[in-house]
Amino acid sequence: MERLSTLDEAPPGTRTAVSGWVLRAAATLFLIGGFAQPTFAGVYLSGDFDGLAAHVLGADLLSSISIAQVGAAVAVWIRVRRAWPFWASLALMLGGVAQYFAGMEGALWLHLPLGVALIAGITVTFAALWMRPLPRRVKEARTDG
Amino acid sequence: MAEHVSRRRLLGIGAGLGAVAAGGLALSAAWARRPAQTGDQLVSEVPLPQPFSVPLPIPSVLAPVASTADGDRYEMVQMETEAEIIPGRSTRLWTYNGTFPGPTIESRRGRHVTVAHRNELPVPTVVHLHGGRTPASSDGYPTDLVLPEGWTESASHGHGGHGMTDGLAVVTNVQREYGFPLDQRATMLWYHDHRMDFTAPAIWRGLAGLHFVRDDIEDALDLPRGDHELPLMIADRAFDADGQLAYPSLDPSLTGEIGVEEPFTAGVLGDVILVNGAPWPLHEVDTGLYRLRILNASNARHYELEAVTEEGRRLPLVQIGADQGLLSAPVRHERLPIAPAERYDLLLDFGDVPVGTKVRLANRLGSGRTADVMAFHVVREGTSMPIPESLADDLPEWDRSEAAVVRDIAFRAGRMNGRHGWLIDGLPFDPNRTDVTARLGDIEVWRLIADVHHPVHLHLVGFRVLARGNGEPLPHDAGLKDTIALRPGESAEIITRFDGYRGRYLFHCHNAEHEDMGMMANLEIV
Repeated sequence: MERLSTLDEAPPGTRTAVSGWVLRAAATLFLIGGFAQPTFAGVYLSGDFDGLAAHVLGADLLSSISIAQVGAAVAVWIRVRRAWPFWASLALMLGGVAQYFAGMEGALWLHLPLGVALIAGITVTFAALWMRPLPRRVKEARTDG
Repeated sequence: MAEHVSRRRLLGIGAGLGAVAAGGLALSAAWARRPAQTGDQLVSEVPLPQPFSVPLPIPSVLAPVASTADGDRYEMVQMETEAEIIPGRSTRLWTYNGTFPGPTIESRRGRHVTVAHRNELPVPTVVHLHGGRTPASSDGYPTDLVLPEGWTESASHGHGGHGMTDGLAVVTNVQREYGFPLDQRATMLWYHDHRMDFTAPAIWRGLAGLHFVRDDIEDALDLPRGDHELPLMIADRAFDADGQLAYPSLDPSLTGEIGVEEPFTAGVLGDVILVNGAPWPLHEVDTGLYRLRILNASNARHYELEAVTEEGRRLPLVQIGADQGLLSAPVRHERLPIAPAERYDLLLDFGDVPVGTKVRLANRLGSGRTADVMAFHVVREGTSMPIPESLADDLPEWDRSEAAVVRDIAFRAGRMNGRHGWLIDGLPFDPNRTDVTARLGDIEVWRLIADVHHPVHLHLVGFRVLARGNGEPLPHDAGLKDTIALRPGESAEIITRFDGYRGRYLFHCHNAEHEDMGMMANLEIV
């Protein structure tokens, strides 16, 4: 943790880039939507049919958000020279696709544990993106090479 | 340097999370049943017969004891009997008239049928005609008991049972007449025991039979008849070391403690598949068109049927009817799921099957021996018949906009009497509580929601399936039904008109173990 904070406090150019803010926004929406999904499922399985419609709507929204997040992560990779948000976002998007189809097929053996794993992944990604600044770093990166 | 270390740590954390997630998924993939199955399987302790070695029995048609202008009268005796199900073994059964399945009743739409039942079994019984449009007094309400000779009131309220008294129950001694107006579409119904708390073991022991309703609409169609129309009652059972039916009742006398041993709470599955009471039977057919009237009379087992030739070619299963009679047009299936209490009216064409070969009726949801149901041996040339492209035109059409009420009803696991049970909207069955009150003549939409497999059955009425989840109905949801199979986490919307008769009826899960352990509710038509 100490080392991480040393890194965070690197003085110049530590203001998070626009692409970074977009990515953080996407990750935040992903987190909110992600936590809403099991709530809707619980409402549905408790006997409220409308919970299913909310669960499906949530899944559709999360699909869009996950694609937007991958797009923002590409921008962060280019502007901030940080690749992990892209790989994390891509993994979450692909996991989300599998989750969507597992749900539609009624494959609960996959849908339930994968849902838990996705929530964990979304949470960790969200925390990692907000913990450190994502500053624009184009020129330094070139000289690094 | 600092960045390098933190990245490594980050990767380590990421890998750890990934490994836990992957491990969880792998565990689920290995442990969970795919496809899902609700229930636990008993293992028979006798050597099981080779598949397709026993001929298919056809239940005999019962002759009326009297026929007048007002209708037909039948008599049945419920009795214990011994029968050879596993070759070389004698198995004790509870039967209607000494056979399993019970004798078949053939009836006409609108012609009144009276069945006088005499109970010579050691426990009270109740007969319900499943799918019958029957006045409440003859619908076989679970507390309308027919007591056996010498039955004392104290014995009927066993120590561990519900001990519930029902002031509306009409209890008779030894005999009871059930009256069926049969003012309904032509279809195959079935009758079975429906006693409160003990329906599942009673059906398991053999209390089930078929009842056909015929009408002019069906007669006008050129459909296979006579020996080309086969009733097939599919039921799974298991046998103990003595060749007796095995069943994990908490009280095998079926008078006290209700329910089954804990591992079987979700349902009792057998490892022997019987058709018309014979294990994996074989039936000789010609190369003609056959009409199969299929009932899943199993307590909890779902099947997915397919007809496969010896070369592995799948024959289409042409569905012409559902629980409540003919469809408007045939629906072709490669595979057909069938849940407990569901019926299908199918056409199967052996036209291009070589004489001398077999066609296996397989169960895609089974594994090992339960993957087979029966087989047809094509032994001679027959005459081909066209499949009518248009069937019945009397299917009721109801629109969502006509619904007076929309109800959400949840079927799920819960606690009952301090043990695991099955609940409808959070409550176990109580004969003294009205759960749903519907006005005679009203159209209602019911949205049924399930946690695990629940085949939901409504008494008195047939219904149409409007939707599965948020999507369209499945192909096999066509026509008029009285039982709908919900899969885990699934929901369905059904629409019906409550017409016919006023009175106290039921709706319940037709997983018979679930039904006994609470999953039943009162439907009052006013």
